[in-house]
Amino acid sequence: MAANRRIRNLFLAPAIIYLLFMSIYPLIYSLYLSTTRKNLSRPYQKGFIGFDNYSNLITNDLFRTAIENTIVLAVASILIELIIAFFIARLFVAISDVPGSSIIRTVFILPMMLTPVVSGLLWSYILSPSLGIANHILRELGQAPYPWLASSDTALKSVIMINVWQWSPFLMLLMLAGLMSIPREQYEAAAMDGANILQVVRHIEMPFLRNVVLIGIIFRVIDNFRLFDIIYVTTRGGPGSATEVVTMYAYREMFGFFNVGYGSAAAVLILIMANIVTLVLNRFIRGEEGNVR
Amino acid sequence: MYARKRLKKAVLVVVALVLTILNITPLIWTFMSGFKTRLEIFTIPPVWIPKSLNLANYEAIFDKRLHNLENSVAITVGSTAGVLLIAVPAAFALTVFAMKNKKHLEFWILSTRMMPPIAAAIPLYLGIKEIGLYDTRWGVMLIYIGFNLPFAIWMATTFMRQLPGEIFEAALVDGCSWPQVLLRIAVPLSVGGLSTVAIFTALFCWNELLLAVFLTSSNAKTFTVVLTEFVGQTNIVWELMAAGAVIQIVPIVILTFLTQRYIVAGLTMGAVKQ
Repeated sequence: MAANRRIRNLFLAPAIIYLLFMSIYPLIYSLYLSTTRKNLSRPYQKGFIGFDNYSNLITNDLFRTAIENTIVLAVASILIELIIAFFIARLFVAISDVPGSSIIRTVFILPMMLTPVVSGLLWSYILSPSLGIANHILRELGQAPYPWLASSDTALKSVIMINVWQWSPFLMLLMLAGLMSIPREQYEAAAMDGANILQVVRHIEMPFLRNVVLIGIIFRVIDNFRLFDIIYVTTRGGPGSATEVVTMYAYREMFGFFNVGYGSAAAVLILIMANIVTLVLNRFIRGEEGNVR
Repeated sequence: MYARKRLKKAVLVVVALVLTILNITPLIWTFMSGFKTRLEIFTIPPVWIPKSLNLANYEAIFDKRLHNLENSVAITVGSTAGVLLIAVPAAFALTVFAMKNKKHLEFWILSTRMMPPIAAAIPLYLGIKEIGLYDTRWGVMLIYIGFNLPFAIWMATTFMRQLPGEIFEAALVDGCSWPQVLLRIAVPLSVGGLSTVAIFTALFCWNELLLAVFLTSSNAKTFTVVLTEFVGQTNIVWELMAAGAVIQIVPIVILTFLTQRYIVAGLTMGAVKQ
């Protein structure tokens, strides 16, 4: 048994030591930095300033805008993705016994496998005001060209559209897996009882979908709090502050202005917000199921 | 009745096909644009199909950016190997050995994945600089391995728990040591699950931008970072961008088709019983 214990520790130790260095050390270091005025371009300027960075952040208009935009982006994207995903998933369930339908499905989910940088780039080309194919099509249809990413009124909507395009397939796949796990007899029994489509959705499909969808939402919330790549290649937070999001804000403070003290405070706040949302959603899952993670 | 059902299904297949083609139209458009000349890019109305199979954009990228592509490949392969090397023994230990507080340990491992990369950015950047690995492939790999471990351990544990425990005991009785049980029995039997782990790790490394932006400057710069540089503020080289995007996504498209059955398993992470 003692030998087993040695083997066990030997197998686990590299992973645990690695993860300590990757999580606890950065966390403590970031917490420490967030209470200083450290700036990498001014190496001699240090000094403990307590919670000043945090109070400056909370009163900073741009940071507030970044939080608002992040929330709008996350909520709008996830809601639209859920609706699209549900209908497409049902469509693929309906044709799942047709030969070749799995190939169509694989083609459909390609966007979610793409490098986010690439999806940002190809959409910024498509949506380019003068050269873009999107406005060309609008003109052909007799519509006025749309400013897309170039105007502060429409930029956030355009980013949401790119986000939805890339990630609807993810929720679609989860729902598809959930729907496919429903035993056929349940549908047959419902048909015998004369249940209509809404009743089938409500009483048979929803219970099966609930957990996969909640897990999918947790992942999408975390993703949206981290959203960086698409913004970085399309708008960099602009025009003005129209698409400023929290990660972009912290990144610019840290690596644009070298304000690592202030930037770290922003990063710590992002971490806290992401954790609160995850905990709430997690509680929601455990709430009824009891044994799901 | 039967004929009507078949007709309905045929209509649904057509709808699915049309939606799918619409959904990947941006990809087709980009693929076509990669062959365009600078002149064709600026043509109004836009041309869908370029006049000739012009490979100049691809040549230009392979000419100047081969080194960055090599960085991406090396970092992806190296990180994936590193992740498997560390995650598989850990997952095995979590599967077969009894342990106090195992649930807490597992939860802690998974929870480290919740950390947004930006929250660890400065400490990791300064740490990598301190040990002299800034702008090296090793530096990027070191960090990528760390970011992938939690999910990899978690997924590998899920797959190994599905193996019957009696096999391990039988092997021990036959005189195998624990490392032998791991290498000769657990790994071969969970090869499907471990492929899923490898696929998702490789995809993360190949696609990653934020960490690569601040861990590299020139030597170890990955191809994703190079792609972001095609859209400067003044002169946007769309034809090179399109060709670069195609180079970046061709491996992903191939991987997706080869491994489609593992993708669902990896995404649902056992949330749905197959």
